[in-house]
Amino acid sequence: MSELIATLKVQIIEQLNLQHLKPEDIGDDQPLFVEGLGLDSIDALELIVLLQQQYGIKLANPQDGPTVFKTVRTIADYITAHKK
Amino acid sequence: MKVFIAGKGVISAIGNNVAENLASLRNLQTGVSKITVLPTRYAETIPAAEVKLSNEELAQRCGLNSGEPRTAFLSSLAAKEAVDDANIPNFKKWRTGFISANTVGAMDKTETIYKYYLEDSNTDKLIEEDPYDAGYVTELVANQLGIKDHITTISTACSSSTNAMAYGARLIKANQLDIVVAGGCDAMSKFTLNGFNSLMILDTNPCTPYDENRKGLNLGEGAGYVVLVSEKVAATLTKKPTTFLSGYANANDAFHQTASSPEGKGNFMAMQGALEMSELTTKDIDYINLHGTGTSNNDLSEGVAIQRIFGDVPKVSSTKPYTGHTLGACAGIEAVYSILSIENNIIFPNLRFQNKMKELEFSPVTELLENVEVNHVMSNSFGFGGNCSSVIFSKHQ
Amino acid sequence: MSNQKENKTVFKAPFGGLGAGLFINGIGCISPQRTFDNSEFLAEVKEYNTNRLTCVDADYTKFFDAGSIRRMGRLMKYGTAAGMIALRDAGLEVPGAISTGTALGLPEVSQKFLKSLIEVDETIVSPTTFIQSTHNTVSSNIALLCKCFSHNNTFSHKGFSFESALTDAQLLVLENMNNILVGAYDEVSDYKYAAMKKTKELRGEPCNNLDIYGEKGNGVIAGEGAAFFVLAKEKTENTYGSFVGNKTFYKPESTEEIRNHILSFLKENNSSLEDIDVVITGISGAKETDATRIDLNKNLFTTQTIIAYKHLCGEYMTSSAFAFWLASKMMKSQQIPDSVILENRNRSPKNILLYNSHKHNHSLMLFKAC
Repeated sequence: MSELIATLKVQIIEQLNLQHLKPEDIGDDQPLFVEGLGLDSIDALELIVLLQQQYGIKLANPQDGPTVFKTVRTIADYITAHKK
Repeated sequence: MKVFIAGKGVISAIGNNVAENLASLRNLQTGVSKITVLPTRYAETIPAAEVKLSNEELAQRCGLNSGEPRTAFLSSLAAKEAVDDANIPNFKKWRTGFISANTVGAMDKTETIYKYYLEDSNTDKLIEEDPYDAGYVTELVANQLGIKDHITTISTACSSSTNAMAYGARLIKANQLDIVVAGGCDAMSKFTLNGFNSLMILDTNPCTPYDENRKGLNLGEGAGYVVLVSEKVAATLTKKPTTFLSGYANANDAFHQTASSPEGKGNFMAMQGALEMSELTTKDIDYINLHGTGTSNNDLSEGVAIQRIFGDVPKVSSTKPYTGHTLGACAGIEAVYSILSIENNIIFPNLRFQNKMKELEFSPVTELLENVEVNHVMSNSFGFGGNCSSVIFSKHQ
Repeated sequence: MSNQKENKTVFKAPFGGLGAGLFINGIGCISPQRTFDNSEFLAEVKEYNTNRLTCVDADYTKFFDAGSIRRMGRLMKYGTAAGMIALRDAGLEVPGAISTGTALGLPEVSQKFLKSLIEVDETIVSPTTFIQSTHNTVSSNIALLCKCFSHNNTFSHKGFSFESALTDAQLLVLENMNNILVGAYDEVSDYKYAAMKKTKELRGEPCNNLDIYGEKGNGVIAGEGAAFFVLAKEKTENTYGSFVGNKTFYKPESTEEIRNHILSFLKENNSSLEDIDVVITGISGAKETDATRIDLNKNLFTTQTIIAYKHLCGEYMTSSAFAFWLASKMMKSQQIPDSVILENRNRSPKNILLYNSHKHNHSLMLFKAC
């Protein structure tokens, strides 16, 4: 799990152009949106692309975004649960 | 000083001219169906409102070379219909402008050329005209219309053609031009289809704007133009103008690159501005042709803003269930529909509407209303970048 | 408010401009020269040994926070920053309205999106580049940053893009608005550069931007840039000069017709050729199109100091905005940098005429120092 979380942080920085951050700047349980890292709705769409491109997981309903993309850990949990 | 509408022209998925569009609007005939013209992997899965004519057929009808962009064919057909409809005596003697709008220029050509370019950056397919050159399409049509005095193109996303009409009216009011052919055009492209798809706002079924269960928009294509004339030109017309442009306004939501603010600030300001200019009150507006794309965000912001301005909301409907969202063309096409509404005392329904949105106290018209007095119609168009524009057409007694 | 109140004042003549002029109260320019700092004026001219000039970047962290800068493409950064420089220069937080011109929108990000959709055959593409692909992206980004809820327009018509925005700004002032932020921006994309090469529009390499007007070599050097201006009814301590008016004409059939347009434009603005001190010519290094410009320089502008600018910024469809910046700087400093002079007739830059053209799009602008 910790390996997946570490990889995810690198991928998130890359996908969302967060070049001003280093992986260690993002806490495993830090909220990614609004009050946390300050991500927005476009980032949520980019994270959907990331899941599909890197992990072959399709998030069919964008409404699930807020729950799945809450923190890096929740994303990792979702990947672990849905990876074939 | 009044700016009159002397002529109109339109092509969309529901008809190749004004008469065909009116017939489809009356017959509740939608243009949204399976994609058959645009070559795309989504042909079977995402519906759209295409003009069901090939490039060759369109080119033949409008007299342009079939290698030109599809957007130009659509523009040419609608603009020529508008000019013919206006039938202005001594057209050439007046100071005339062509102000057109489009959002993706010659994108249909680019998609093909770019593929070759990626394989070989020195390919013979590279053309001089840049694909993102929105003005290229405008000049092709201006040349056909023989208009030279003032030519320009506006590209403010989905509000583009409202801004083209407003700019034309302002030039006439400022005594810079006598006649302006104004409106917009856009053809379907893989670029826009994939773009809106990446935003996850395309409905995989025919769209249902303003419905509680709306799932997004359908893309469409087409063109719509009006011929705006000064009072001086209007006086020379054999066919008396039925309508005039009584108000317009351009505002910016300044909230987010693509999304509308929840309270619809820009939408509110655009509608308010158009009302102020027209010196009408909210009670005078008989019908609002909504922007009503069918996305969760747009319909909510627009609806909330309408409720705030109007209180007692007039008859409203989105005609996008007929035509799809035609981007740079939508306000041109909907201007023609607004004028048809006034001329025929008729209000078009919001097809497929079932459930009222829980946030709103009003719901759109669901069946064709005939023999209703329609004197003033407001038409809204809002786009990416917070661009919000509204326009009001009024009956000329 | 966004509505345009009607005003009884009308222009004097078709596209002759306001006559009285609008004051240029703030400027901002990012170009292949070091132009972003308004305290300088071409102190050092950048020399390029290539046929493609790209912008000298400003420090964009001064304009945007890390969160908002991360998604911006190159043009979005320099276009938006040029607008913000002009606003700050004029001491304004929010302009009365925004009107811009861009011939090609944001081709780099648009092509990035197009490339990805071709490569993955429409399967899955990222939305960020798509949302920046509309031509109004820069104009609306400025509105977003300074919370300008008013009129916001973007014209995309080749060599008339910036010119239309200027006309829009003049109309807005007639309609009782003030402090209009008007500007233009374009970039040379890899695709455009390849197309210019293919069509032989481009000058062959090796070449030098400081040596493109002579006999040797043929073709333009590709360029880009962004320039913004605050146009207002009132003069301020920062005023650069006045923009008297502009005129566009399409597909002139002869040099004679161009000549007539120039003379009638001056007349419409209560000016004449004798009043003009400096002519900014759109000469570009392409022999065929330069022939007319050289003819006019030789036979019409016989007593004026003639200056050129496309060796500094390259050729692009909204390059007249760079020339507008040059005129503003010359008026305020009352200096003409040696690096732009083609023909020196020792005139001080009081009344300046710009004549530029791009293919069928011809444009005239008139400026007057205060």
